[in-house]
Order: sequence, then C-alpha cells, then structure tokens
Amino acid sequence: MSEMRRELEDSARKVFPDWQAAQDAKASWAQMAELGWFMAGVPEALGGLGLERRDLAVIFTEMGRARMPGPALAQFLALEALVQAPDFPGREDLMESAMAGEAITASLTIAGEDLTAVPDADTADRILVRSTDEVTLINLAGAKITPFPTWDGSRRLFTVAPAPDVPRIPLAAGSEAAALTERLDGLLCLGLAGDALGGADAVLAMAIEYLGTRRQFDRPLAMFQALKHRAADLKVALETATALYEASSEAAPLALGAMKAHCCEVYKQVAEEAVQFHGGIGLTVEYPVHLFLKRAFLNRALGGSAAFWNESAGDAVLELAAVE
Amino acid sequence: MTQEDDALRREIRDWIAREAPRDWRTASTHEAFVASQRSWFAKLVAAGYAVPHWPREWPGGGRSLAEQKIIYEELARADTPRLLLSFVSTYHAFATLAECASAQQRSHYLPRILEGETWCQGFSEPGAGSDLAAIRSRAERRGDVYVVSGQKVWSTMAQYADMCLLLVRTSADGPKQAGLTYLLMDMRLPGVSVRPIHQIQGDEEFAEIFLDEVEIPVAQRVGEEGAGWAVAQATLASERGLTLMELSYRMRGAMVRLSEAVHAAGRTCDAGVLRKLGALATRVDAVCALADRFLQKRMDEDERVGDASIVKLAYSRCLRAWTDLGVELADLAGQMHAPITFGDLNSGNWMADFMNSYAWTIAGGSDEVQRNIIAERMLGMPREPKNWITEAGQ
Ligand SMILES: Cc1cc2nc3c(=O)[nH]c(=O)nc-3n(C[C@H](O)[C@H](O)[C@H](O)COP(=O)(O)OP(=O)(O)OC[C@H]3O[C@@H](n4cnc5c(N)ncnc54)[C@H](O)[C@@H]3O)c2cc1C
Repeated sequence: MSEMRRELEDSARKVFPDWQAAQDAKASWAQMAELGWFMAGVPEALGGLGLERRDLAVIFTEMGRARMPGPALAQFLALEALVQAPDFPGREDLMESAMAGEAITASLTIAGEDLTAVPDADTADRILVRSTDEVTLINLAGAKITPFPTWDGSRRLFTVAPAPDVPRIPLAAGSEAAALTERLDGLLCLGLAGDALGGADAVLAMAIEYLGTRRQFDRPLAMFQALKHRAADLKVALETATALYEASSEAAPLALGAMKAHCCEVYKQVAEEAVQFHGGIGLTVEYPVHLFLKRAFLNRALGGSAAFWNESAGDAVLELAAVE
Repeated sequence: MTQEDDALRREIRDWIAREAPRDWRTASTHEAFVASQRSWFAKLVAAGYAVPHWPREWPGGGRSLAEQKIIYEELARADTPRLLLSFVSTYHAFATLAECASAQQRSHYLPRILEGETWCQGFSEPGAGSDLAAIRSRAERRGDVYVVSGQKVWSTMAQYADMCLLLVRTSADGPKQAGLTYLLMDMRLPGVSVRPIHQIQGDEEFAEIFLDEVEIPVAQRVGEEGAGWAVAQATLASERGLTLMELSYRMRGAMVRLSEAVHAAGRTCDAGVLRKLGALATRVDAVCALADRFLQKRMDEDERVGDASIVKLAYSRCLRAWTDLGVELADLAGQMHAPITFGDLNSGNWMADFMNSYAWTIAGGSDEVQRNIIAERMLGMPREPKNWITEAGQ
C-alpha cells in the first residue's frame, strides 16, 4: 500500500475507530470535511488534493467499516461531476462549498433508474441528476421529496421529483453526458463495493471475536471446526474480493459494476453468517451485528442489481467466442 | 503498462506464434505427451520463459511481477501446454534447493533442472496424507548411507522422474515431526520401483513409489537429520500460492471455452445462464487479482501466515465452480465419454475437467486443511485438543 493510502487509512481509523464512532450524522459529516475527504478527488488546480481513484477507494472502505451515515457517497458523485464538467460561471464557488461540506445529493441508483434512493434529500440544496442525454444540477426548492424508509437505518433515503421550474445547471449534454454518466455510475459502484468490503471486514472481526469469547460445551465456540471452516471460507471470499477491488479502481464501468455485484454478495454472505454465529443474541436489536446485515442488503440493491451487472458481464464473455 | 512491458508482450507473442506446439491436445499416448512436454520445456528454457519466478542469476529468472503476468497471460492466451512434467522440478525442487540445500547441492542440481532433469515429490504415504508428519517410511543410517524402506503414494509424474524429494522417518522418538529427515533420491537407485495409478478421468498423473532397502548417500540429505519437517515446509510453501498465478491466468484464458459452451447449447439469450457466466467471470478475475497480490506480497517480503492458503482455496473452489458450470451447460452431450487431454485443467472436456479439479481441492494440503490453517493461524481461532484417545479415555 502506498504511503498516501496508509495515511488515509490511519487518519480515518483515528477519527472513526469503530462503527459507533460515526453514528452522529452531523458530527461525522463535519469530521469527513475536516479530514479533507471531499477535496480528495478534486485536482490540485481546482483547489483539491488531487488524489487518485485508488486513494478514494480507501476512503470508501473506511466509510463502510464505520457504517457511515449521511450522503457522503452522493457528495463524491457530485464532486466528480463538477470536476469533469466543462467550466461554467460559478463552478469554482460551487466546487469550493461542496469541498467544504455543503451537501449536494444524488441518487444511489444507476442512470436509467428512478431517483428513488437519494440520501438526505430533505436537507440538501441541490441534486445531481444524470442520464445518457444530460447531466444537471437541479435546485431542490419545491421538489416533491418522499421518504423511502429502508431496513438499513444507517442512511436516510428519499424519492425525489424536482419541481419543473427551478434553476438548473447543465453540466454535460449529448455524448459528453453519456460518458460522464458512465463514469459516475462506475464511481458509484466503486463506492458501494468499498463500503461493502469495509463493512464485511468489520462484521467478520466482530463475529470471530464473539466465537472466541462465547463458551458452550466447556470450550470457546471458536474451537469447533464446523464454525472455523465457515469463518475461513468467509475470510477467503473477503480477501479475494478485496484483491479484485484494489485492482479495479481504474477499471471500465462494466467491470466496476460486476465487481460491485461480487463484493456486495460477499458482504451479504459474511453478514448473514455473522448473525448465525451469534445465536440468539444476534437477533436482539441492541446487539449491532444486524446493522451490518441490513446495510449489506441495501448496498447490494443500490447501484444496479446483481442480475443486471452479472448479465452484462456474461454478455461480454459471450463475445470471447467467435460466432458462426 | 510501460513501453518495456509492451515490448515483452510483443516479443513473447511472436515467439509463441513461431515455437508453441499446436498438436499437443491430440497427443493420445503418455509417451507422446511426455515427449511433447520435454521439447516444450526445452524451448521455453532456451527462450527464457520457463522460470520467470527464479532469481536473476538464472537465465529467464528475476522477472518483475508485471513481466511474470505478461508471460503467463500470453502463454494462457495462446493455449500452450501447461508444464506438468517439470512442475515439481521448477517449483518444489527449486524452492527446496534454493532455500534449504547446501551450496554444493544447489550448484549440482539447479542447472540440471533447466537441462530437463525432472523431479517428483515423495511425501504422502498410505497412512500419512493430511497428517503428513505420520510418515512411516524408515531410513536407517549405516555408515555414509541411509537405507530406506517404505511406500510413497500420489507422487505426481514419479513414473517419469529422475529425482525425488523424499521425506522419511529417521527416529520414532519425540513429537512425530521431529523424527523426519529430508533426502534427495535418485530414482534410478536399486530398490526403487514405481507403479502408475489409474485415475478416475483416465489419466495417470501420479504414481506409487516402493522403496526396498534403497541406499541413499548421506550427502544427499537436506538440512540436519531430524530437521526434515522444516525443509518440507519450504517445499509445500512453493506449491501453495506461487504456482497459482499461472493457473489462475490459464483459467481466465479458458473462459472462451465456457463462452463456446453457451453458444453450442444455444443459450446465448438465456438470462439465467448469462448471469452465472458473468458472476463466474468476475470471480475468476478476482482470483487472478488475488494471485497477483500474493506474489507482490511475497516479493515485498510482506506475506502473512495463511496468505498462501487463501490463494489456494480461492483458486481451488473457483476452478471447481468453473468446471461445474461447463458440465451444466454441456448437459447431456457433456456426458458422452470423450478422450482426455493430458495435463490440462481447462480443456473444455467438462467431465474430465471437473474430475481433474479435485487435484486442487485435495493435493498440496486439502481445502479442509487450508481452512484449518486460515482459521487457526490467521484468524486466531483456538486449536482443538490434541489427543482424542487420551480425552476419550478420561
Ligand atoms: C492430483 C494429486 C497430486 C498429488 N501429488 C502429490 C505428490 O506429488 N507428492 C505427494 O507427496 N503427494 C501428492 N498428493 C497427495 C496429497 O498431498 C494428499 O492426497 C493430501 O495431502 C490428502 O491426503 P489423503 O489423500 O491421504 O486424504 P486424507 O488425509 O485421508 O483426507 C480425507 C478427507 O478428510 C479431510 N481431512 C483430513 N484431515 C482433516 C482435518 N484435520 N480436518 C478436517 N478434514 C480433514 C480431507 O480434507 C479429505 O477431504 C497428490 C494428491 C493429488 C490428488
């Protein structure tokens, strides 16, 4: 790991040492801004830190580990759109305030799907809306904002219908919009995959620690091979997915989508087993393991379904063989 | 990709186009297979592509991770034969000699490996499989030789091997690991006999070795007497992990066979099939990325206990899934018995591939043994009580 990525990881773990540390949404938002996360992906020429995507990838993993509340992933999408858009009057100011933490939200669904998963739409001023025809920033004044309460309580999602006559800032149109939208969907998938892997790592550690302390039949549960082997399989799945994640930060959008599907499946698998490993206590609301299960399921459903991405990846494999 | 990398890719592509054997899949006898393996190895050595994982002082050695990737990717892309016959010599024997042998042993044997001398690994016995330390083949010291009697089993390519990495018992005292000694045995010595084992898919990839009062010079010992277990770990470590980059790339290169299978089955519009195919392709990519990362860690001397087990398990389970999907797609047609390709794990003869995939879930420490290693040594889960006989007797 590079020096930069190690530093990002260390500073994140200092501020958000565990999943509890980040749960005050307002405070953690300010902390993220202070850590410079919203500046991270913005080029130095535009006032940011000029980090690469694989550096952002570290941030996404830490967000998952901390079960980060709030619209941070949407903020990263909006910032990326501003960076990629051709210059327009007011862009610098917008970028500056977004880097400082003024929230711009965006749907965590992929382009072509509805604006059904927009985090914190009730408090944001603007929403980034993308399609293959145009990418725009739309003012949320007067928008129809309907809560979409999810089982995962760590993020607050809304369905949004912007009002017709509000100010819009076009960021891209035509083929440029298509390219930018693809890029943004790729970033969304990278973010969700990283979130999945950070969460999976945290919940696996939680489960293994529990198995080591809980005693039944006069021994720690962790001594039972039936459980050891399942834990080992989860570790293998997690390490394998992590290797793919680390190798994919600059990958093409389709590969990022398929990677997201893979990583989110691993998160769901790890979280599912983690609840089982806890026995009855895993079903009590006070015990945190279920929180990861719920986030895992929501992550899997955001950013395009596994069915969609796997089918697209399958189509690409079909092309390997010459067709008669 | 740097310019040098591109140049290497072009160079090896051109070379493969000129030199790679084309007819190897149809080699229908073991003799023809072995002959083609020998000539292909010799060509790879001459061109400097046989041992990219060896250190720089060897011809073709000292390749960077990026270069090794390119070499294995191109060999896989062109569907060249895997080096089964020299597998043990270039990985297991090499690692053991390089890490544990005397300077004299190294300078004697390593050059001969590149000249085509082949090795087999004589560890497993009928009574010592996963519990390798239970080895019973006995070596008794008489003057300057060890006299060895016993039986080895599952020894890959032993029937063609010149030399053997032999693990034997020199003492029955103390913990069972402490009584083991590591010898380099010439397979032509009197008292050594080999019998190939007929496998379920029709191959004869491994063999039994019978040892009847074989006299092995003491100078052929690696490490001290009684230190064989530690040496054996070096042999095994080379197998878990390092070998898997090439194999993972071959599996990825062979995705085209699954693609062909979907076309052949007329299921190109079957969404369920496409989803399985896409998910598997991503998993294969992930295994390749894991193998890359492992090799990088090893080069950086950053490897953790259990990392190699993770790579092996990830590969073995993915290979099984790969072959399983092939069998499923081929449906009834896939049940028709077809001649096998020796030494190929990803041939597209799906039933044979499926059965061959057990090689990786059983050999070199089974999946279950790898899971034990990961759970106990990496995740810190406690070992079971050691001696069940004592426990039960209480
Ligand atoms: C293709 C192939 C090539 C091989 N090549 C060589 C070679 O060149 N040289 C050589 O020396 N050996 C070789 N082997 C042997 C190989 O190392 C052994 O087969 C392997 O170690 C397993 O031992 P076993 O076959 O005796 O199975 P066993 O140890 O009897 O195991 C039977 C089953 O029990 C499981 N099991 C065993 N112990 C445990 C445990 N503690 N916890 C849970 N489950 C357990 C195993 O996973 C397996 O599923 C080869 C094997 C194969 C299949």
